[in-house]
Amino acid sequence: MTDAVYPQCKIETERYLNPSTTEQILNKIAEIPGIRRIILNGPNIPQVVPYGPARGVPNPHSARGAIIVGGEEIDLRVQVGTILLELEDKDILPEIRSACESVFTTLTFSMKEGRFMRSTPTQTDYAKYGPNADAMLYGIVDPKNKTGPSILQGNK
Amino acid sequence: MAYTPQYGPGTSVVSENRRKQMNPKLAFEKMRDVNDSDIVLLLGHRAPGSAYPTAHPPLAEQGEPDCPIRKIVAPTGGAAAGDRVRYIQLVDSMQNAPCHPYQRTYVECYRYRGIDPGTLSGRQIVECRERDLEKISEDLINTNLFDPARTSLRGATVHGHSLRLAEDGMMFDMLQRCVLDGGTVKYVKNQIGEPLDKKVDVGKMMDDAWLKANTTIFHSLVGTPFRDDAEYIEYVQRIHSLRTKYGFMPVE
Repeated sequence: MTDAVYPQCKIETERYLNPSTTEQILNKIAEIPGIRRIILNGPNIPQVVPYGPARGVPNPHSARGAIIVGGEEIDLRVQVGTILLELEDKDILPEIRSACESVFTTLTFSMKEGRFMRSTPTQTDYAKYGPNADAMLYGIVDPKNKTGPSILQGNK
Repeated sequence: MAYTPQYGPGTSVVSENRRKQMNPKLAFEKMRDVNDSDIVLLLGHRAPGSAYPTAHPPLAEQGEPDCPIRKIVAPTGGAAAGDRVRYIQLVDSMQNAPCHPYQRTYVECYRYRGIDPGTLSGRQIVECRERDLEKISEDLINTNLFDPARTSLRGATVHGHSLRLAEDGMMFDMLQRCVLDGGTVKYVKNQIGEPLDKKVDVGKMMDDAWLKANTTIFHSLVGTPFRDDAEYIEYVQRIHSLRTKYGFMPVE
């Protein structure tokens, strides 16, 4: 028996999002029942200067910080430019589009359907999660990072 | 007949802007007034008001060898004083920034002496004697070569030139050296990312119309598409063709 293949979609905005806009769109999306996984993509913002003459100096940055999504505090470590979603069913795509339209009033965005998340482990995934890992974890968090994914309370 | 340099091909506004910036007979347009001590702060090489550290004694004291070239070429102020060699590095967004790395190197080579530019895809560094550098930096920051949002001083951790802009119009900077504060862009860190004691105001970001009219980079989505400039394409294709064929038959 083959594993079920869930539909996925990618939301890309014209500009990188502020944490407040990210919080707004994620809260709208989190209200929609039938979303299995959410990945936030964008350039990394380190806590300390990673290299150069100022290496090790703290790096205050307004795009990094905590946001509250569905009552859960999420530590935002990237400047969000792409949101990947895995859905249980394609039927909720119009709801996701209307959520985006209500939040991205000053920005254009694109929404694409396809396969965007990893389905097989990379060598690093294998080293971190082992041979019998939950496939839900692949690609959902940077495997080199020590933190794990955030889990939102389901609303089904 | 005297030779008149053309500086570059093209009929588009982008190529015209490139020529204007390169031509040393045309002065840059002054856009803002960041003072000397603020520029020294941004560069981060010495404390404002402190003496210039030296790499060697002043040339007048040092005793120069008898050399015909030294008699022809006058040293720059920094070289004569024996200043250290220091740098400024700027990153230019692909989204209609007023200047870009290759262009910067051309501009500097036409306009300044005693410099060593280094050109990369998204950033351009220029090295020279410290007091010469401060004068050049003044031109690079205070004139139409600079936009506070889409040009950025970054000595290290430069990623961002090819990315989308942030919601507020600023180019992505992992170290957020400058922030939009009360309508103007203020630097809170120096070019290598060390926090500054005071914010350095570099003025308002330029609007999209100004950037589109003054940019020197082609962009098919937000600016002037390269394909619209037939003369530029013809020139680039000719150079490409000659370079490719050169090893076999160095004639057209």
